[in-house]
Amino acid sequence: MELSIIDAAAKGFFNILQFETFLALLVGVSIGTFTAVAPQGLGMPLVYAIMLPVVIKWNPMTGIALLIGASSVSAICAAYLPILFGIPGGSGSQATVLDGYPMGKRGEGRRALGASFMAGGMGALIGTLTLAAAVPVAQPLIYLMGSPELFVVMLWGLSMVAVLSGRRPIKGLAAAALGLLVAMVGQQAQSGIMRFVYNQPYLLDGFAISIIALALFGIPSALDLALTKLGVEQQPVPLKGSLFDGVKDTIREWWLVIRCSFVGVWIGIVPGLGSQVVDWLAYGHAAQSSKNPENFGRGDVRGVIAPESANDAKDGGDLITTLLLGFPQGVVTALFIVALLAWGYLPGPEMVKKNLDVVYSIIWIQGISGIVGTLVGFVLAAQLAKLAQVRYTFMVPLLFIFILMGAFSVNRDPVDLLVVVSFGVLGFFMRRFGYPRPAMILGLVLGDLMEKYLYRSMASYGFSWLARPAVIVLLILSAISFFFTIRGRLKSSSVGPASLKRAMARTGDEN
Amino acid sequence: MRTNLNLFFAAIFLIAIVSGWEWPYIAKLMPVYVAALPGLILVLIQLYRDATNWESRVEVKAGGIEMDEVYQAKLDSKTETLRTVIFFGWYVGGAIGIWLIGIVYALPILVFFYARIDGNEKWIPSLILGACTYLLIWGLFEYLLDARWPPGALFR
Repeated sequence: MELSIIDAAAKGFFNILQFETFLALLVGVSIGTFTAVAPQGLGMPLVYAIMLPVVIKWNPMTGIALLIGASSVSAICAAYLPILFGIPGGSGSQATVLDGYPMGKRGEGRRALGASFMAGGMGALIGTLTLAAAVPVAQPLIYLMGSPELFVVMLWGLSMVAVLSGRRPIKGLAAAALGLLVAMVGQQAQSGIMRFVYNQPYLLDGFAISIIALALFGIPSALDLALTKLGVEQQPVPLKGSLFDGVKDTIREWWLVIRCSFVGVWIGIVPGLGSQVVDWLAYGHAAQSSKNPENFGRGDVRGVIAPESANDAKDGGDLITTLLLGFPQGVVTALFIVALLAWGYLPGPEMVKKNLDVVYSIIWIQGISGIVGTLVGFVLAAQLAKLAQVRYTFMVPLLFIFILMGAFSVNRDPVDLLVVVSFGVLGFFMRRFGYPRPAMILGLVLGDLMEKYLYRSMASYGFSWLARPAVIVLLILSAISFFFTIRGRLKSSSVGPASLKRAMARTGDEN
Repeated sequence: MRTNLNLFFAAIFLIAIVSGWEWPYIAKLMPVYVAALPGLILVLIQLYRDATNWESRVEVKAGGIEMDEVYQAKLDSKTETLRTVIFFGWYVGGAIGIWLIGIVYALPILVFFYARIDGNEKWIPSLILGACTYLLIWGLFEYLLDARWPPGALFR
């Protein structure tokens, strides 16, 4: 018998009212928190893979609570590494490093963490509410997104380079081109041709994005400490700001949180986009829509709020596709589907028809995990923020572990170590000479996906894909976004005397 | 050095163009036409801008965000270069160590030596740091999670 939405939501809530469900949720939260601050080798896919054989023998609600609790909290707490150590967090939290780390270095780590958790909590809540509301309406919209639409979305993402390059458009675009080029290394899936492989087996599968991001950002951050021989917050600045200041910042920027959360939900819903782009799109949107974009990249709290709210809202969007359509958005959701299948549920339209109460139980668990994760983040933040005050002789070795072990754990291939050091040197020189590293990461992330969707569009529709209504709408939206960017830059180029003086002072610093 | 980096980028783009020129259209569309050719043109423009000191004359008028951390010199050039070279030396040494004797032993040794030599920490804190690293790498990954790290080249 099919249940009504209200009945299913109520039954779903009662399903989770068991002691062991909440206990499993707490265990999941602890695992997620540890994963968020642990070296990269211990990512959520590994945690899911390890837990899966155990949880599928449990009661479904208990297992679901543990898995959802872990992944949800891991996303909310992912800002620790970028803010405290300048190391990009897991995918979805990489853009946080751009403003989070400068805030940490300025003595405002606690404020940045407060903003991050509050934004993450609000994002998770918005994502969950959207998931709950989406059950009846999302399905037709998801089927509307084909390869052509996805290609335009990628193009939109790449246009963010123009936004993010700011004062260095030529260098930004060149860095993005380099990123695109690096993404092309390896065997092309469509033609089977080996590109830039030069008879090296290591290059067959191309470079791992996580290694390059770790190298470009992590090694120069560690170098900062080794050069000055001071810890992150031992830099010669006074400590200022508290967690509560970050909360106030986030509440003041509530409209930005809502906008970026919907960016996150949308990225989560659309199959094939994944978490690599969510933070960059949200960051680009925040910078683009800001009245004073020149503050971004120099420790603006909005640069923390935007990616974190989008990243945490994305989980709700992910579940929309996973539960309603039955296909995964990544490794973690794929493993979650495996667990659901083991419990006898078939994710997709059939689950919505036959087990709507379980769908709502998952939604409830997702919502509760978001709230618990935010609270855990606040409780632990004060303690973890003290790490930033540790002297460099302990911090730099800690970063050795994060970087070398993080890189080595990806393929367990010693060549990865050569790659991480080489790209670390490149990251050092890029930062030294003003080539924006995020532009390169964006090119790297989008390059492969863009090529795949362009090929599929051309193979399926020829050039007629350009006339598809959804493509036209997305192209118009991209053009509007690009227009406002250029207009914003033209406006800010006619700066007043005070800001001109400031800009001149900055240029003086660089030379 | 700024020019050298531009030239390095130009060389990368040029090699990509030469390598990919004979590929079928489908394979070279993105790497050659979308990435390398525009990239090369952009780097050449940048070289011209640097050669004519164009940025320092015009950049102050440009608005927009600073996408990346702005480099700020904190030390005199000689000290900075020396410490940078030493820093990367530790990484290279660590990488070679992991390759030769495996991560389980190399990383704790690297951490210990860095704390002791570069950081001038006392023996006890340095040893504790190295031991904690060993516990993390062996204890957590190999013992608890049963995720084996590959042995070094010398032990195969």
